[in-house]
Amino acid sequence: MSTTLLPEDLPLDAHTRTRSAQTKRYGFFPGCVAKESCKELFNSTMLLADKLGIELIELTAASCCGASVVNDVNRDVARVLNARTYAQAEALGLDDVITICSTCTGHMRAANKELRESEARMDHANAILGKFGAKYQGTVTVRHLLWLLIDDIGLDNLRSMVVHPLNGLKVAPFYGCHIIRPESVNGWESARNPHSLEDVIEAIGGEAVDYAGKTRCCGFHIQLEKDNVATDMVGQNMRMAKERGAEAVITPCPLCHLALDGYQADSAARWGRTDLPTFHLPQLVAFALGVPPDKLGLNKHLIDPRDVLVDRDLIA
Amino acid sequence: MAKITLDIFRFDEATDAVPHRDAVVVDVPETTTVLDALETAKAEIDGSISFRRSCRSAICGSCSMNINGITGLACKTPCNTVMDEKGVVVVDPMPNFQPMKDLVVHMDPFWDKYSRLKPYLQPADADSTHERERRVSPEDMKKLVDVANCIMCATCYALCPVVSVDPAFAGPAAIAYAYRFIEDVRDGQRKERIAQISEDYLWLCAHCYACSYCPKHVDPHDRIIDVKRASIKDRVLMNERGPRHALVVSKTIKQTGMLAETEVIQGTIGRFNVRGLLKVAPLGLRMAAKGKMPPPFVKPIPKVDEVRTIFEALEVPVS
Repeated sequence: MSTTLLPEDLPLDAHTRTRSAQTKRYGFFPGCVAKESCKELFNSTMLLADKLGIELIELTAASCCGASVVNDVNRDVARVLNARTYAQAEALGLDDVITICSTCTGHMRAANKELRESEARMDHANAILGKFGAKYQGTVTVRHLLWLLIDDIGLDNLRSMVVHPLNGLKVAPFYGCHIIRPESVNGWESARNPHSLEDVIEAIGGEAVDYAGKTRCCGFHIQLEKDNVATDMVGQNMRMAKERGAEAVITPCPLCHLALDGYQADSAARWGRTDLPTFHLPQLVAFALGVPPDKLGLNKHLIDPRDVLVDRDLIA
Repeated sequence: MAKITLDIFRFDEATDAVPHRDAVVVDVPETTTVLDALETAKAEIDGSISFRRSCRSAICGSCSMNINGITGLACKTPCNTVMDEKGVVVVDPMPNFQPMKDLVVHMDPFWDKYSRLKPYLQPADADSTHERERRVSPEDMKKLVDVANCIMCATCYALCPVVSVDPAFAGPAAIAYAYRFIEDVRDGQRKERIAQISEDYLWLCAHCYACSYCPKHVDPHDRIIDVKRASIKDRVLMNERGPRHALVVSKTIKQTGMLAETEVIQGTIGRFNVRGLLKVAPLGLRMAAKGKMPPPFVKPIPKVDEVRTIFEALEVPVS
């Protein structure tokens, strides 16, 4: 079972005593949105972890990653906030921090890169962490759940765990900027021609839809800045996906999810109706691995994804 | 030598109602740049193929185009890095611009945004007689050299998804060039420049890093963040949504350790901006109907005092 523990709840030697030899353990950073308006993402991630046989240990005292926005007010604060999070992971003996949000991934990796590449920046961060007795040693690696699925679980293994294959459901991948760009920070795969989501879609029995919008921006970060701009960005991307035959969208980012699920209705005036249901990555993978659909929070989406699952005879 | 097929967008605004495509086969070494392959096609096969070029070495910024769907300098792109297994290279004019003839586009909107910057130094004492040159320390100059490398090729502008839906946005290059003058110690128009670029929608940058493909490593995305910080430091147009959003996010993280969604929405739009709040209300109601509303208040994370210590040590602005 995945658990949530504070660093002080779990003495360092406790891990080795309590875990079974097969269970892999990861630090888990859910991010703000999975704890606020996209709770279904948090819940389906935990259910997926159980199916995968991994243990996600939530870093419950971790702060927001900075969400790309605090950079606009101060050049150091996101780096030091994330150093604090990494220090908590290290105190738990965890060097892997797993994220479920593209924006968290990009900005936490950027902070970690800045810290690990410069002794001066590391010392600067640790001087502040030292005020409350914390220290970051630089051992943490930040990865998205998507990369964990491919690197640690493996596509062949994932394929063998599928009990409800998607029957060729045509799914359009939507990456979200910060899991791929800039390549100097992420670099796990080509930012211009990524295929990890396509690989996962195919491993769980779907058909990946190729379209130009898959690596473009959803507009979430400027949704409040000027009317219609983010809505148009969603409409433009979903129009491309729809024209390539997509029946649904999958995204590893809850910010993209809020935008794609939330603004398609409003984008119809300029871009035509698209009505593509948008799955969180762990929702669709957990469904294929046999988690009952009523536990995945599919009823929380504005564009109900259950209809397309019924159409494909995937649920009754 | 290899046979490379250039699949070229053809259009002449003077005579054509719709564009068409020509496939032109050239015999060139496969490491030839896309630009040299186009030059060969023009010299040997079809002299009417039109494209802009001058220096052939990534200095003049003329030859940016879409190559297999990706915008970049044709003179900096070897064919063998982009062609498919059949040796096909697909070339199109830059997106976000009106095509003029084949790969040549109307650059006017891009230049208009530059000229609005007044892209020349305006020292505070411009009218006085100077006995000597205005000097800049190496440290101050260091901040400007990367941006000074901009060759105005418009690759970033063509890649920008915000420009693609809202041409009022200044675009990455113009904002980066605004930074070049805002941070120049010899210039006397810092606040006016920040205000001008803010009015050209500085804060509409979507943080997408599409402009991280700058062929000259100007890194416009980072310069955009620098200009936003300058705007907050100098308190220019602070009542606009952009700075309010950044500051309320900062404030909620300091208070709770989390980005508190409800407070961020209210703080960005304005708690008493009834019209603004009514605009987001329909989506809010649709979310509420699905039980998807963010909580009205966010419970502070454990040890939130540590987060506040960080904010205080760094003197992070929250209002």
